[in-house]
Amino acid sequence: MKLTLNKIAVAAMVVGLGTAATAQEYPYRDITTAVVWGAGGGTDTINRMIMAEMEKHLPVSINVINQTGGVAGSNGLVYVENQPDDGYTLVGLSESNVTAAVQGGWDKKFDYWYPFIVGGSPDLISVPANSPYNTLEELVDAAKAAPGTIPAAASGAGSIHHLNLLAIEQGAGATFKFVPYKGSAPGQEAAIAGEVALVVTSLAEQAALIEGGQLKPLAMLTPETAEIAGATIPSAFSVYDGLDKYLPLKQAIGFAIHNSASDDIKAKLGAAFEEAIASDTVADWASANNYDVGGQYGEEAQALFSTLESTFAYTLKDLGATTVDPMSLGITKP
Amino acid sequence: MDFIFMQLAGFGGAMVDLVVDPLTYVYLISSVFLGIAFGALPGLTATLAVTILTGFFSNKIPLDYSLIALLGAYVGAIYGGSYPSILLNIPGTAASAATAMDGYPLAKAGRGGEALGLTTTASFIGTVIGTFALLIFVWVLLLVSKNIASPEKALLALFGILLSGTLMSEDLVIKGWIAGLVGLAMAMVGLDPLLSEPRYTFGWSYLMSGFQVVPVLMGAFAVPQIIEGLRHVQAGQLTEFSDRIIPRMSAIKKYLPTIGRSGLIGTGVGALPGVGEDVAGWVSYGVGKTVSKNGKKFGKGSLEGLLSSETANNACIGGALIPLLVLGIPGSPPAAALMGAFKINNVIPGPTIDPEIILRVVAILVLASLTMFIMGLFTARIFIKILRIPQTVFLPIVMVLTTIGSFSVGGGINDLYLMLGVGFVAYFMNLLKYPIAPLVIGVILGGLFDETFRRSLLISDGDMSVFISRPGAAILVTLNVALILSQLPATKRTFKWMKGRLV
Repeated sequence: MKLTLNKIAVAAMVVGLGTAATAQEYPYRDITTAVVWGAGGGTDTINRMIMAEMEKHLPVSINVINQTGGVAGSNGLVYVENQPDDGYTLVGLSESNVTAAVQGGWDKKFDYWYPFIVGGSPDLISVPANSPYNTLEELVDAAKAAPGTIPAAASGAGSIHHLNLLAIEQGAGATFKFVPYKGSAPGQEAAIAGEVALVVTSLAEQAALIEGGQLKPLAMLTPETAEIAGATIPSAFSVYDGLDKYLPLKQAIGFAIHNSASDDIKAKLGAAFEEAIASDTVADWASANNYDVGGQYGEEAQALFSTLESTFAYTLKDLGATTVDPMSLGITKP
Repeated sequence: MDFIFMQLAGFGGAMVDLVVDPLTYVYLISSVFLGIAFGALPGLTATLAVTILTGFFSNKIPLDYSLIALLGAYVGAIYGGSYPSILLNIPGTAASAATAMDGYPLAKAGRGGEALGLTTTASFIGTVIGTFALLIFVWVLLLVSKNIASPEKALLALFGILLSGTLMSEDLVIKGWIAGLVGLAMAMVGLDPLLSEPRYTFGWSYLMSGFQVVPVLMGAFAVPQIIEGLRHVQAGQLTEFSDRIIPRMSAIKKYLPTIGRSGLIGTGVGALPGVGEDVAGWVSYGVGKTVSKNGKKFGKGSLEGLLSSETANNACIGGALIPLLVLGIPGSPPAAALMGAFKINNVIPGPTIDPEIILRVVAILVLASLTMFIMGLFTARIFIKILRIPQTVFLPIVMVLTTIGSFSVGGGINDLYLMLGVGFVAYFMNLLKYPIAPLVIGVILGGLFDETFRRSLLISDGDMSVFISRPGAAILVTLNVALILSQLPATKRTFKWMKGRLV
């Protein structure tokens, strides 16, 4: 009997809260965005920028906090998962978070989220300034002559940069010796020190080193070329046919809300997001920092993340770095 | 030479930026004050001051400002330790232990004001010497460090752990090494850096990201210190003094050679990985005693002895930041806390660190030492009042602050359990006279060692000769081996015997 009473009490409270919530239109109080990566990093910077823009088109303020740690940012994912899906807690995330599930950080497929993609920086392949290789062909030919001996840096195993390295290997038919680094900066430093012969990271991360003449860019891993330091970096797509089967694999940095949030919340955030993405601030920021603006959200963004999720999951599985079988989570092969 | 001018110009720019920003003064004055108070209260150390501020500030305010707060507290706390050393004969921090040797006899002789005034001046000059060494040497090292690859990094990390263990242990060197290796083992927990395999996580996802630096620092440095402070309440008799604090120019001039020498020694000791201000103070005191004409008076109220240790421990700050900024290897325990602050803000110290940050650090240090100097000369009597606050009042407050700080870094409630667990273990290690600093250095450098050691072998296909075939690595291997051998009883006996034969 006591149990039933409790249930009634809970039900009454839920109903009460429900009516209170519908009485006022979303959003009526401040929104919090929990970024799963550290302050000062790419995801953090982008979220702080886009939230400041979105605020202008919403009647409330948005606070950005950081909830870091766990596996592939799982602490922050779990934190937001445990908040109600009322659109008042957003999660700031990036493509790297799609591996949280297969690495045992949490137990949800990525379509748990309703993502908004602000953008990402394209990956490219570079060599130290004093490297004997001047074009991508020379490098690939050298790798074909001695498979698996030329050391290549590309952040950690299973990172977006590692996936790009694997893709160019498959597309060009060459094998390098993959040397993992904790993050892009140490990998780039290793290339400058001559410890590795090439490095695959994003243009945003390499820009200062290319401009300073410490790294020599060989090819963009996107169909487009890029302009930097008064020169044009050719696209790897113009060198090897059929790369489009594997590439481009681009960063997707942005934020998300619970997919279970109401359509009204999704529409309101979507409208503010569209306005923010179209602003000059975002355009200026993107060109100054070598980022491409995305702007996808909702189902379109879910499709992009789902591709990234399956590519990441099965690459990690092949590397033996998954603790959870992607199949058991319902992630299908790419 | 050009390059030194370029550096000075860059430093000038950073200085102007700081001076015109009104917020600078808010952070600077409050943090230096807090630092001196922390240093002055026996039982609270510089490391603790910097660690607590790291927990509170580093993920909440921009790095530019949190650096002001952290460095201000660092400079203030190292200096503040001299108050109780001189007036109570209880070192406020381990860094000021050597200060008490001469400071207290001076105070008893009624020259407390003179001692405090000269100490303040010497601390100021010491900090500035260390800071300019940082400004110049960081660039020399940055040029060299472009060629530092994984094998050298691995050996440097190992050297740091071993050296810290050797110099920080109270009785047996092996205890320091054991503490260092325990730290190294703790660094193995989590996803391994090369293959992303979980290690020692027992299926618990919190452990996948490894032991976080801030809770480990809080646990290792704060918890045992607080328990110890509450167990043995030290109530020293405050020595009164009536002479003037502001020193005479003639006295400063007279002791300038001592101050200069101690500044250089302090900077050098600071630059050694994992060896902090306390060692700097003792080494400089020891050297002073040997070189000085009046060495016999050391320990009986010699101003020279007082200045030897107090200049060196402050000069150590600049020195300790050199390896931190260039290689990501903290030069002292408080620098380890600073490293935590950098990590939280995604700044990775190393060859590609933003030069702006280095210039800003130098400018902050100069301003902080100036603030400390002015506060020390004109508000010294306030700090002396602070000495009267009983430990039973402030230690529990500090415990609460530590807990909040540890939690607020954002790792969740598990960070608190980690902090308490580490604190519990550290307390018993303290009782058994195992030094704690090597453990923390082990946790920080262990990850670096693990990663770079295995990466070296990955690149060389498992060929160990990569550690001796590169010239830099060969030197470091020799240093490591020499360090270990020098502590073996057999070698020690041989040296003694050889010494005996020579004499």
